[in-house]
Amino acid sequence: MKADPKKWFVLYGTLLYQYALPRVSNSDVAEDLVQETFLSALKGVDGFKGEASEKNWLFTILKNKIIDFYRKKATEQFIISMPDLRSAENDWFDAEGHWAENRLPKDWHASNTPTERKEIQQIINWCKDHLKAIQQHVFTLKYMEDLESDEICKVLNISPSNYWVLIHRARLQMRDCVEKYWLKN
Amino acid sequence: MKYLMLNCKEATLLMAKKEEGKLSFIGKLQLSMHTSMCSFCKKFEKQTNQISTESKHIHAEERMSDAANDRIIKMIDEHSF
Repeated sequence: MKADPKKWFVLYGTLLYQYALPRVSNSDVAEDLVQETFLSALKGVDGFKGEASEKNWLFTILKNKIIDFYRKKATEQFIISMPDLRSAENDWFDAEGHWAENRLPKDWHASNTPTERKEIQQIINWCKDHLKAIQQHVFTLKYMEDLESDEICKVLNISPSNYWVLIHRARLQMRDCVEKYWLKN
Repeated sequence: MKYLMLNCKEATLLMAKKEEGKLSFIGKLQLSMHTSMCSFCKKFEKQTNQISTESKHIHAEERMSDAANDRIIKMIDEHSF
């Protein structure tokens, strides 16, 4: 079966874009990544022997491009300052490490139907976009791209102890934000 | 027994480590003891797991711009000849 990149674009172009966009939060960047994905596919098409489906192959290329995007962003960031990170954790807990009164997790109503799940996904995406830069990167790579912490540290050029503080704080912040908007429903 | 008792701040951090499979046996024990006694941390764990699960399924509804579409099709055409 002859490889047909144009057909692949018709079939998968939009899906690739719709995957990339929430992961890079910028439509121009997402479009560029899709274009680069097809450019790589065109260059590598002779090596594609159909072991994986072309869809999986294209998605793998795209995911690597997304990681490259974050790797490059990390070289542009200012170095995170540890005191800034510490103080945020203290917003949630008192001196004894107990939940602060105004931060106690509340009960969430169910989100099981496809509509409810779509709603909560949109809330999660919005909340993620409102995290501060490095936290957003950590959250995206961990929860949207399913990278292991070791790899995230390499990509973002951070130490493991930085990573744990960042992910801890991202989880606290995300849960708070999602709760706030989910309970409004 | 006191050294086994976590506070909530510690418990929420251990949850992140547990997710990675980077929690020791003692840590797992400490964490499950804490969440069995602390309904807030139990909620926190359930809700962050939910966020984790749903995050993977996020995708946009929008399509690419016509300009990008045309650009890519043009690129594919030019590359094939």
